[in-house]
Amino acid sequence: MKIETQQKSDVVIVRIEGRFDAFGVPEAEQHFQAAIDQQPRHLVINLGGVNFIDSTALAALVRALKRVREHQSDLSLCNLQQAVQIIFELTRLDKAFSLYADESAALTALGVA
Amino acid sequence: MPYTNYETWKTTPITNKPLLSIVIPAYNEAQRIVPTIGAIASHVSDLGFDWELIIADDGSKDETVPLVQEMNFANLNLLIAEKNGGKGSAVQRGMLASKGDYVLFCDADNSTPIEEVTNLLDRLQNQGYDVAVGSRAAEGASESNKRFMRHLMSAVLRGIVKYGFRIPVKDTQCGFKMYTEKAAKHLHEKQTIMGFSFDLEILYLARKYGYRIAEVPVNWIDAPGSKVDPAKEARRFLRDLVKIKRNDWQGRYGGAA
Repeated sequence: MKIETQQKSDVVIVRIEGRFDAFGVPEAEQHFQAAIDQQPRHLVINLGGVNFIDSTALAALVRALKRVREHQSDLSLCNLQQAVQIIFELTRLDKAFSLYADESAALTALGVA
Repeated sequence: MPYTNYETWKTTPITNKPLLSIVIPAYNEAQRIVPTIGAIASHVSDLGFDWELIIADDGSKDETVPLVQEMNFANLNLLIAEKNGGKGSAVQRGMLASKGDYVLFCDADNSTPIEEVTNLLDRLQNQGYDVAVGSRAAEGASESNKRFMRHLMSAVLRGIVKYGFRIPVKDTQCGFKMYTEKAAKHLHEKQTIMGFSFDLEILYLARKYGYRIAEVPVNWIDAPGSKVDPAKEARRFLRDLVKIKRNDWQGRYGGAA
């Protein structure tokens, strides 16, 4: 699994690639926490490179959402592959997160050029 | 329109005989089964043929059964077991209930990504094989995150299988195998081992009955939460090896196909 982080204006983007499961969760959570520590207005997680996500990784995303909101910020997901989109639907987590088609749609919605 | 393919599959019962049945044995898989079903349904619905999914519960005590029931997919058949009978028993029930021309058995943890399905199907559909075995040991395969004890156990078991049983497959235990309908029904009707080493018996029988077996390299990821206890399963495996030989000597498997 590969993870990279980028800041655009007051938004932090975390991009994840590969199979996102319990083996990758500790590393992902470090990136999420580092991003939250920057106190961004918004955190965007780009899952475009993720071809499979398990329940441990879903739980990690929910924890990140809670932490972000504790800091009066918010979190969105973008660029979900079809399989990951379906997994979000089956677990009903598509209702818990703001989902965007891609990174630029997310940034546009957040008012970042 | 890939998403439409998935929606159609989950809402509209197929009327033709399915080309492919996918059997997933499930014992206390509430944590893992939903993402695996999602990944399989997404990928296979886009392959352009009719298919069914069979979840063969093995007496789960957690929320596996209600979670699957709640999905209410038109082409998902849930086989509920009152008691835990072993992984082999769940696979056997799934195989015997399947209706497809080809039948894939795969593990509930998606450790062999479903994208590998077409490689196995090609061997059966186009190359005349009866059994296609996903293999972590064949040339071109890859294993990720595999723990040391599982490496060690695999190596020891492969040696026994190769030299003691002359099964033409380096990896008998990978949970990703496909059979023609005839081979699936025939082999699983003869199955006597209901635990972890049922795969070995099925492959032993496949060789005995003269089915053509292909070993297909697959990418494999050691999924977290594996229920395999290496030491315990190695002991059972050795016990079952003796049982298979004894069954054969006693004529319980009959003759050729």
